[in-house]
Amino acid sequence: MKKLIASLMLSSLMVAGATTMANAAPVRIAFLMYGNKAEFVQLMERYAKEHPAVKQGLAEVTLFDGRYDAAVQNDQGQMAVNSKYDAIIINPMDFEANIDVVTVANEAGIPIVVTNARLNTQDMLSEVVSDDVEGGYLEAKAVLEKLGCKGNVVIIEGPKGGSGEIERGRGNERAISECPEGAVKVLERKTANWSRAEALDLMQNWLTAHPKEIDGVIGQNDEMALGAIEAIKSAGYDVKDFAIAGIDGVTDALRAVKAGEMTSILQDARGQAQGSIDVAMKAVVGDDYKPMSDIWEQYKGKMEWNDGKTKRYDVPWTIVTPENVDALLKDRGY
Amino acid sequence: MQTGSRAGTNPLAMREYGIVFAFIGLCILVGALCQLKVVQGTWPQNAFLTVNNLLLILHQISVNGVLAVGMTFVIISGGIDLSVGSLLAFSGMMAASFATRSPGVTAWAGNYGAFIPIVVALAVGSASGALNGWIISRFKIQAFIATLGMLMAGRGFTMAVTNGNPISALGPEFRWFGTGKLFDAIPIPAVILGIVFLLAWIILNKTVFGRYVYAVGGNEKSARTSGINTKAILIWVYVLSGFLAGVAGVILTAKTGSAQTAAGTSYELDAIAAVVIGGASLSGGIGRLTGTFFGALIIGVMNNGLDILGVQSFYQLIIKGSLIVFAVILDPSRKLTA
Repeated sequence: MKKLIASLMLSSLMVAGATTMANAAPVRIAFLMYGNKAEFVQLMERYAKEHPAVKQGLAEVTLFDGRYDAAVQNDQGQMAVNSKYDAIIINPMDFEANIDVVTVANEAGIPIVVTNARLNTQDMLSEVVSDDVEGGYLEAKAVLEKLGCKGNVVIIEGPKGGSGEIERGRGNERAISECPEGAVKVLERKTANWSRAEALDLMQNWLTAHPKEIDGVIGQNDEMALGAIEAIKSAGYDVKDFAIAGIDGVTDALRAVKAGEMTSILQDARGQAQGSIDVAMKAVVGDDYKPMSDIWEQYKGKMEWNDGKTKRYDVPWTIVTPENVDALLKDRGY
Repeated sequence: MQTGSRAGTNPLAMREYGIVFAFIGLCILVGALCQLKVVQGTWPQNAFLTVNNLLLILHQISVNGVLAVGMTFVIISGGIDLSVGSLLAFSGMMAASFATRSPGVTAWAGNYGAFIPIVVALAVGSASGALNGWIISRFKIQAFIATLGMLMAGRGFTMAVTNGNPISALGPEFRWFGTGKLFDAIPIPAVILGIVFLLAWIILNKTVFGRYVYAVGGNEKSARTSGINTKAILIWVYVLSGFLAGVAGVILTAKTGSAQTAAGTSYELDAIAAVVIGGASLSGGIGRLTGTFFGALIIGVMNNGLDILGVQSFYQLIIKGSLIVFAVILDPSRKLTA
């Protein structure tokens, strides 16, 4: 049905003479997502569908749910090759295990773009990602600035050994090392597996172990920072006495920023999803293709289109503050 | 019935006390390790052995405790319920959609206070549990398989409700059930756990239904020939488990302030662990709610104590895994069931 509508739209465009596209059929893009159970993934999917090329029927994006399993994603990559998709975009589950998808796509001569998380290879056409080290640095910086580089912090980590935990942790440490030596003490660091419920219990236990000693909370994602906020409230402390930050910019975190409870570092789901579609379209359509998403306008000077030929597009992070939070909430329909 | 007459015999009494001893032993161990830090001067006071920390542990075990109560009935009846984590997420998501101030997440979303969302959660949990029980008893499918199906389907329903999005901005009336405190001290989730445990204890130990659950789990055939409607008993057991998954869904959602599609993932395993540590036999017919309660407490004390002591999460998993196996090996009454 979608295909029918898309082709109808396309043919009406051609009648109007408004298209210069050589292809009669829409470009078929397989978008392999590592899972679909988190708000961030949902946002990426939504923005992928809102890409102008998709809306105008020039591209047809099919989303695949990798079910948080690298092996499932590899199978889906093989399936996309077998079904002769024109391009593949992968948001990989695993840094190493999913390199396979790049390999099979290259063997079949299908353009492959990596987005959101990274893969430990240089063989892909292009990467459209945000630098997690930078994200970790920015969030820790936000906490340390509020503390004036002085006090005790705790770090709530992502799943141990995942690239998110490793790279954001590296960024956290870099920010801490910029403070005078010994001025900031990391009281505790432990994983809560990106989960709000786990972080809630963990932070409650830390507040019990270190009553009135914790000044700052560095959550390696927003959900865990939000769990820490719930723990602080349930222990009877005032959230505003703590410096708290997280990464991602999920809607609840935006609300918490608005309430003055935390800082969030927004990972731009729109920039990643739509940027990678533009890069894939360019590779399939050829030199006639001009990027259609307005993200290139938005990030002018920070991330250049460069004819779709950049090896690694670094989608900038946005520090969410009370000043810009209303616009972001509005964009999500709140 | 069988169990009633056995309850007075020594091995079973041993088991019941055994778990209490294990619990006290664990508390002493963690408390001593904390005291060491006080002696060393790293801590101003013993953070573990305080009333507030005990209340905190009760708060933290409330979700697993409620699930484990339902799981106790299921395991005594000779079955297993793998779907409780998914049903927790599903009922929590449904409840949240009736308790949110953020419109548009579902077609019917809105804030209707606390009563309606809670009723919805309990109804969703009970109905899904009834479906489990009906499939198991009507088609004679192993509980493991039927509830494995529900584990997957329940997660799918959860995501289908909101297209995979979380539901947040929940109203204060609803959130009270996760964050409120009785007399300004006792967390409401702990109070709910207490009420659930008490009522369940009465049902299991003082009613005909409870005796029938033991009978069905001990030997379904002879239970049937002695005139027990085993199908009905089984259905009600899974309704109870689903209902309690709904209760746990309300607690977790109200506690975290957000219904997440991944909520409760693998919680069924923690619930089974609590029941098994508590001395129930997976082959059915044997188990006690007091044992389950202490089983949940042991898991809770361990998570809390190891966090407080700053033990890395890898070791936490190793210790937890070992404990489950040791609890069963050391169970003095195990030979009875084997």
